Amino acid sequence: MIRLLLFAVLITFASAADRLPSDVYRSVVRIEAAVQIPDYATPWNSGRFSGGIGTGFIIGENRILTNAHVVSNARRLLITVHGSPIKYPAKVDFIAHDCDLALLSVEDFSDFSQFPVFEIGGVPELESQVRVIGYPVGGQRLSVTRGVVSRIDFSSYSHSRADQHLVIQIDAAINPGNSGGPVLQNGEVIGVAFQGRRDADNTGYIIPTPVITRFLKDIEDGRYDHYVDLAVSTFPLFNEAMREALKMPDDGNGVLVSNVIANGSCDGILKPGDILVSIDGNPIDSAGQILIDGSKVDLNEIVERKFAGDTVALRYRSDGTWHDRDVELKPLPQNRMYAVQYEKKPRYIVFAGMVFQPLDTNLFATAKFDDLHVRRLYQDYLPKGIFTEREDIVILTRIESDPINSQLSGFTGHVVDKINGVKVKTLKQAHELLHPETQPEFHVIELLGARRPVVIPGDEVDAANERVQRTYAIERLANLEE
Amino acid sequence: MNQPMMPTMKRTLCCLPILLLTHCEESQSINEGVPPVPSVTEATTTSEVTDPTRAVVRITTTRQRWNPGQPWEKQPPRKRRSLGAVVEGPRVITSAEMVADATFIELETTDGLKRTAASVVAVDYEANLALLEVEGEDKDDFFEEIEVLEIAETPPAPGDPLTIIQVEDNGNSITTSGPIQSVEVVSSFLPSQYFLTYEVKASMQSAGSSFTLPVTHDGALAGLLTSYNSKDQLSDVGATEVLLRFMEDAADGEYVGFPSLGIGTSSTDDSNFREFLKLTDDVGGIYVSKVRKDGSADKAGLKVGDVITRIDSHDIDRLGYFEHERYGRLFWSHLVRGSKATGTELAIEILRDGEPQTLTVTLERQAVEDQLVPAYTFGTAPNFLIKGGMLFQELSESLLQAFGDEWETRAPLDLLDAWQNPSDYEDEAERVVFLSGVIATPATVGYEPLRNLIVEEVNGTPIRDMKSLIEAFNNPPGDGLHAIKFRDEDILIYLDEVASTAVDTQLIQRGITRLSRAE
Repeated sequence: MIRLLLFAVLITFASAADRLPSDVYRSVVRIEAAVQIPDYATPWNSGRFSGGIGTGFIIGENRILTNAHVVSNARRLLITVHGSPIKYPAKVDFIAHDCDLALLSVEDFSDFSQFPVFEIGGVPELESQVRVIGYPVGGQRLSVTRGVVSRIDFSSYSHSRADQHLVIQIDAAINPGNSGGPVLQNGEVIGVAFQGRRDADNTGYIIPTPVITRFLKDIEDGRYDHYVDLAVSTFPLFNEAMREALKMPDDGNGVLVSNVIANGSCDGILKPGDILVSIDGNPIDSAGQILIDGSKVDLNEIVERKFAGDTVALRYRSDGTWHDRDVELKPLPQNRMYAVQYEKKPRYIVFAGMVFQPLDTNLFATAKFDDLHVRRLYQDYLPKGIFTEREDIVILTRIESDPINSQLSGFTGHVVDKINGVKVKTLKQAHELLHPETQPEFHVIELLGARRPVVIPGDEVDAANERVQRTYAIERLANLEE
Repeated sequence: MNQPMMPTMKRTLCCLPILLLTHCEESQSINEGVPPVPSVTEATTTSEVTDPTRAVVRITTTRQRWNPGQPWEKQPPRKRRSLGAVVEGPRVITSAEMVADATFIELETTDGLKRTAASVVAVDYEANLALLEVEGEDKDDFFEEIEVLEIAETPPAPGDPLTIIQVEDNGNSITTSGPIQSVEVVSSFLPSQYFLTYEVKASMQSAGSSFTLPVTHDGALAGLLTSYNSKDQLSDVGATEVLLRFMEDAADGEYVGFPSLGIGTSSTDDSNFREFLKLTDDVGGIYVSKVRKDGSADKAGLKVGDVITRIDSHDIDRLGYFEHERYGRLFWSHLVRGSKATGTELAIEILRDGEPQTLTVTLERQAVEDQLVPAYTFGTAPNFLIKGGMLFQELSESLLQAFGDEWETRAPLDLLDAWQNPSDYEDEAERVVFLSGVIATPATVGYEPLRNLIVEEVNGTPIRDMKSLIEAFNNPPGDGLHAIKFRDEDILIYLDEVASTAVDTQLIQRGITRLSRAE
């Protein structure tokens, strides 16, 4: 409410100039990011330094909205304004990788204070016209394109690769550099340009306002809490035999709960075989969809708009009895296994030249694991609750040559099952197991699917570590914190 | 089972430049205790061969495989050609590759004047050998002017020249001579089936569009050439020992095949590992990393963690090699697979916790039919069931291969797991029955995304193979709704008996020739 008032004041203040469409150009800024991308192959190294250009826009007093991917892993951010040569240093106040949004501020906002502020609007109609403003490739100055709304749908957010939210497809060109720029209709922001696709022409994707306002509300308390998740899988119930067997009336409602993720919002409440028929009073159809604002959307759309600690009312049948229950929603941090990670320092252990790293999507993308055990543990990590027994899936990723390990071959790319007889659950614990108070005669490292255990004589470890550290210029032999 | 059981060997062999060429067969008893091959050797002494090219015939086979995605029908036929060696009988030796899934085998004299159909007497897909014969009255006429090759009594040694026989389309023969450059234990037609192979250095040209060719030594058949690398001018020729063992096995008309220990091993060249195993420098030894349940080694009491130091009185070194009197260093597996008959006893000396022990192993063979996921399925029609549009199949390696060249990384993980870890499934089933896909029908509305799911139970009955699946579906519950439980899934999928029968009738009308096969 306060935020809306603030907008109102600013708008009246700048109303005279607001009639010109070009006036808002000043509030669309060019973001220059210098980034450092961590190197998961040699995690002790600094990684790669690079940079990129994106767009942002002013949505309030020292609040500049852009895409998370414009400013991810940034080491320096500079902002320039249309028609001005000055570069203003900026910093990231909030970043949400799961919905590709970030909020920036500059050190001194006074030069911007007279600029118009963008108001966040609603969801545009299909076929209605929009314009995209930004700093795409092909020139230094601001660029404007126009298009119509082609489609409004749930779709993937490629920044994290693991998240799906509402997306609006438009036919205006969106090119590299447009990212983070406003998409306007009747002077209001109806989306943030964020991704395109290579396999189709005249398609650009923008983040619509329900996602933007959710992000802005989430950070009101000073931190970003991520999306929450029901953490259940469902199976559609439109097969007649299924309905008959489950004794469901032929009314086209209800989905079958097929999997409930351990420690998730519904763990201990729902179980496989239960039938879910409504969420917050909205009947769930047999395909798992509900009707909101006249259109069919996935039942998770209700959860999409909620925050950690909110509740959702579920009506479900379990063992023949109907239940109505308010379920408290929480995030599902384990699903980050499948998301690209940013702003993290890769964790690792170097021990006797062997490099151990916890599995995540970044590591998977770097190392291309073929081993069946690795791929199964990755696939089952969330749905089968592997994380409850192996919070980290520790992998022997490489071996830096040293006399102590020169006769080891064929062991990289395997999951560490046990170290000295103890099952490995986290990287930290692996580090403790490898560094006991007194060195054992042999360190025995068992790998899943390997032909034999890896054996390292305890009394040679310290000298080997010292050699490896020196030879390969490894500043620290372990990093256990992200 | 074969693939994962032999990781060491695969790795070792990868270092050798010849892996891609592996192909050959030749056999001879290297063990004096093995009786000679009666019929073959006698034949060789009686026949006087002057020109080896007169003892070969052209073979043309028509190959037709079953369609892995639609197992009720076959794929388009393809033709293959090779040269076969005529041996006593007269019978014809060629590669198993030539007769795999063959629907028609035709022999032709090299002058092109006579043709006749042939049938398979014995085939070993693992050793890549096949023995053909001509039945009926055509036989005498066809072989009238053809010489018979004897099989080499004394196998060739490294450095010995071998003669490769080719015949051009016009009937002219080409012989190429080349020395045996090396002798290795490598795989040929099927991966992870390792047999003794000669690497022959000789420059050849293509003739008669085939590189499956007879190879002689001193005028006697030494083996079959099964692949040629024109870049390195190297050929793979199966060793005489293997050929002899094959002929001996086939002599009684009931071919058994080569035995296996059923173990996976790892080298002990890592000094830290040797110290850990308390191995002294005067022994070699290989570490047993896997023992297949109910395999020959398992029955003899071999365990994971044992170190094998001697097999059949041959010292095994740290990398798994032994010193062969004729060929030099060979991988240990040749002591089991190559010259020994199934049923033979073999002494294996091991160190267990540092203590020496001797185990007597009766060499057995795991028939491919007894494998949970058969390594190959040539000549057998795939079992399947279509029920209301749901297609169930039995998992085999050839079905996994249908996922493309990179099937070992592309195929569904659940299916690969059954293939790689059969012991986790063998107590519950003889075959892995899985839902391979769903044909969209009125009975399968909403089921279209289901695929590659292993079937655990139907109507409460555990599914052990295709037959038990068909039986389970033949007993619908009282409400007429079949309940299907997939492995690792917590919900049941239902299929209406009446609706699916109606649907299946329509599928037959739409050209699906049959709804099930369980043989």
